[in-house]
Amino acid sequence: MDTVTGASSLVRALEDAGCEVIFGIPGGTILPAYDPLLDSVNIRHVLVRHEQGAGHAASGYAQATGRVGVCVATSGPGATNLVTPLADAYMDSVPIVAITGQVNRSMIGTDAFQEADIRSISLPITKHAFQVTEPEDIPAVIAEAFALAAGGRPGPVLVDIPKDVLAATTTYTPAPPVPTPRVTPAANEIRRAAGLIASSRRPVFYVGGGVVRAGAAAELRALAERTGIPVVTTLMARGAFPDSHRQHLGMPGMHGTVPAVAALQQSDLLIALGTRFDDRVTGVLKLFAPNAAVIHADIDPAEISKNRKADVPIIGDCRDVLVSLNAAVRQAPVLTSWWAYLDGLRDRFPLGYDWPDDGTLSPQHVIERIGTLVGPEAIYTAGVGQHQMWAAQFIGYERPGSFINSGGLGTMGFAVPAAMGAQCGVPDRAVWAIDGDGCFQMTNQELVTCALEGIPIKVAVINNGNLGMVRQWQNLFYRGRYSNTGLSTHDRVPDFVALAEALGCVGLRCAEKSEVDDVIMRAMEVRDRPVVIDFVVGEDAQVWPMVAAGTGNDEIMTVRGIKPLFDEDL
Amino acid sequence: MTRHVLSMVLRNVPGALARVVVLFSSRGVDVESLSLDPTERGDVSRMDVVVGLPAGRSPDQLVKQLSRLVDVKSVVAVADSARNQIGA
Ligand SMILES: Cc1ncc(C[n+]2csc(CCOP(=O)(O)OP(=O)(O)O)c2C)c(N)n1
Ligand SMILES: [Mg+2]
Repeated sequence: MDTVTGASSLVRALEDAGCEVIFGIPGGTILPAYDPLLDSVNIRHVLVRHEQGAGHAASGYAQATGRVGVCVATSGPGATNLVTPLADAYMDSVPIVAITGQVNRSMIGTDAFQEADIRSISLPITKHAFQVTEPEDIPAVIAEAFALAAGGRPGPVLVDIPKDVLAATTTYTPAPPVPTPRVTPAANEIRRAAGLIASSRRPVFYVGGGVVRAGAAAELRALAERTGIPVVTTLMARGAFPDSHRQHLGMPGMHGTVPAVAALQQSDLLIALGTRFDDRVTGVLKLFAPNAAVIHADIDPAEISKNRKADVPIIGDCRDVLVSLNAAVRQAPVLTSWWAYLDGLRDRFPLGYDWPDDGTLSPQHVIERIGTLVGPEAIYTAGVGQHQMWAAQFIGYERPGSFINSGGLGTMGFAVPAAMGAQCGVPDRAVWAIDGDGCFQMTNQELVTCALEGIPIKVAVINNGNLGMVRQWQNLFYRGRYSNTGLSTHDRVPDFVALAEALGCVGLRCAEKSEVDDVIMRAMEVRDRPVVIDFVVGEDAQVWPMVAAGTGNDEIMTVRGIKPLFDEDL
Repeated sequence: MTRHVLSMVLRNVPGALARVVVLFSSRGVDVESLSLDPTERGDVSRMDVVVGLPAGRSPDQLVKQLSRLVDVKSVVAVADSARNQIGA
């Protein structure tokens, strides 16, 4: 038991919790914490340029490493700038701890300078929020915050600390380990699930991000291979099952593959693992997988039967569930005709794209080449929009955690700071942000952080001159009336190469198919600085297949107006 | 709308009530009445709420969502008066 300041106690508690990197910006109320931080040997502080960047970086770090990410902000505007990343991490179940300074205890509730009630603001977007009122509570609160963030269904936790609590003299007593209860999957449900699997004729593994969070990829693969059952991986689960595996049908949902969507629709048994039947996957719920029985395994009981009633509910960590199922399933189902049907769809409706007629560069080609040349050992992040969907479709993922994106909240500007955080966690892997010209303009200031801190991420800006995804909807549903979706980025406002150089990065540009490979290779050779490549691509490319919002999955279109599952009797 | 009675035990910490009320608001739950009473233990309070849910929505989901809150020690739907129509 040592006599310390609250601030030192905080830093020691963070060290004891295993924190190795913090993303943040100092300010008045958090200032006391920055003093002992200067002396910490275990914790690296990365000085970001905007607190939103700190929050997404913590998320990228957490998703790349499987550990808890940490971000720090001062009170008031610093704290409110964390709102978007907290909401983002809440939707995608990412374990992060956000530490915010707060005005002195005696000033709380007086509209003091830079006072914001961040604990109340964060209520619907955090797992829990603490406000520390006694300095001696700091070690226990930090330990509990880390345990809460990582335990059960992971998510963001806020710790708000008034300045005088940080400045006070207190004692440091290491917190005892916080027990994290783990539910054992119910044996009777596992038995029922195994029975349904053995007797199913058209089963499919519907795999979500929970499998990634649980570190259950190996167990999934074992069960998939023993049973021969096809697998689809949602946007949050890309990489949970190797794309190169012959049982993998790709991503389901609004921009999923025809075989993946059809497998769900025609299924007689959905084995849903760590997934939440999101509307982007199900389309109109009433029309989703109408003949399927549902086994739904999730660590969060509140997700089970939320959108679709589960016939066999299994509460538990996906790894525990898969281990139990592996032990319980004795007999593999007979799937010959099911595979004949799915393979037929695979042959007839492979993922593909047309080259633009106007001779412009194809964005899908650019992304596909990045995936091929950079390879599956890298980590890819994405913003939100067309480029995100193409990154999900045209890069082959072989490892869980190799694709990090904003699935639930759909946060533009996620890619660059998430890549920064991921690179800090896994310095030996290449980290590529696949970004849009719109998204990039929301958070590119973090490239300054990357340049100064030696975080050599690569950013591929898929510059289609537009808020492309919105433009695609305007093209399809608003008679091509392009209201406020042009960005002038094809007129070089801004000039992304010049901007990159100004931010301390290498800036490259490519507008020709013949130069794509070359520019990617050149970017890969740069190791001492971040690289931005401005890929000038056509503005008319669209994301296909597509299930239009408000329609059922059977109405999936491979291109505009062509509905293979709906029109034909397959 | 159907009416349901929830009985909860809440930790007596700042923000606990706010978190429960925000959950009702985020999830579109109609609160008809709400009472919070101290218990003999002192570190927890008892909360009884009568909520209205859109027809066809069961209180199970709500109970599970409330159970996720750190400050909610327990929650049960006591009288599932699903036949008890509000308004009608
Ligand atoms: C913060 C935020 N604001 C607005 C949106 C709505 N939105 C979704 S995609 C998109 C366009 C993104 O443009 P860009 O980054 O250029 O990507 P593209 O679709 O062109 O590949 C917009 C505006 C959003 N998802 N997030
Ligand atoms: Mg764009």
